[in-house]
Amino acid sequence: MQNNIAEFRKAAGLSQQELADAINVSRKTISTVETARFTPSVIIALKIAQHFDTSVESLFLLDETD
Amino acid sequence: MNQDIKAEERFMGQNAWFSIFMGVTLLIISIYPMLDKTSAPLLILGVSAFLGSFFMFVIRGGFTRKMKYHLTYKDEYLNTIDTIAYKHVVLALLFSMGAVYLSSDSFALHISHSMMATFYLAIMCLVYGISILWQNRD
Repeated sequence: MQNNIAEFRKAAGLSQQELADAINVSRKTISTVETARFTPSVIIALKIAQHFDTSVESLFLLDETD
Repeated sequence: MNQDIKAEERFMGQNAWFSIFMGVTLLIISIYPMLDKTSAPLLILGVSAFLGSFFMFVIRGGFTRKMKYHLTYKDEYLNTIDTIAYKHVVLALLFSMGAVYLSSDSFALHISHSMMATFYLAIMCLVYGISILWQNRD
């Protein structure tokens, strides 16, 4: 699964730590989600989407293999 | 709440290094009696190094008397890698037990049950620490 979180985060001028603090997760969670090493739960996906005032679908994109 | 997550991140890093330190110490303890020559200064140095690492872990891990024991981490990612690390530990234990079972005839007479138990504990600690460090990379 691909995601656009890094683009949204950079556009908002936030560091990984600032985004992590804002949605109350560890920096490693943001780092590994951005690099697609970790697929977050629905709760975290919704929190990130809510933080950037966008939809989950615009943040996460399914691959053909998913 | 954010402090909790940061404390968990710090604790996990410390915990991984402590597990590796403990694993190496237990590995040395398990093979030490097999050596023909024993060295008292080396043993004292080893014990001092282990106790030093233990107290550094307790101090830097940020333990307080008010801390409660939790079986899981609050942070989702840390909890996931912790669970995967335990799976790695079980697999490593099964492999090492299998290897010992297959090759035990050659050294069964020289090695006691306590040495073998210490050896298995060493494997478990080492694999847990290495697994956490490997999964925790950026």
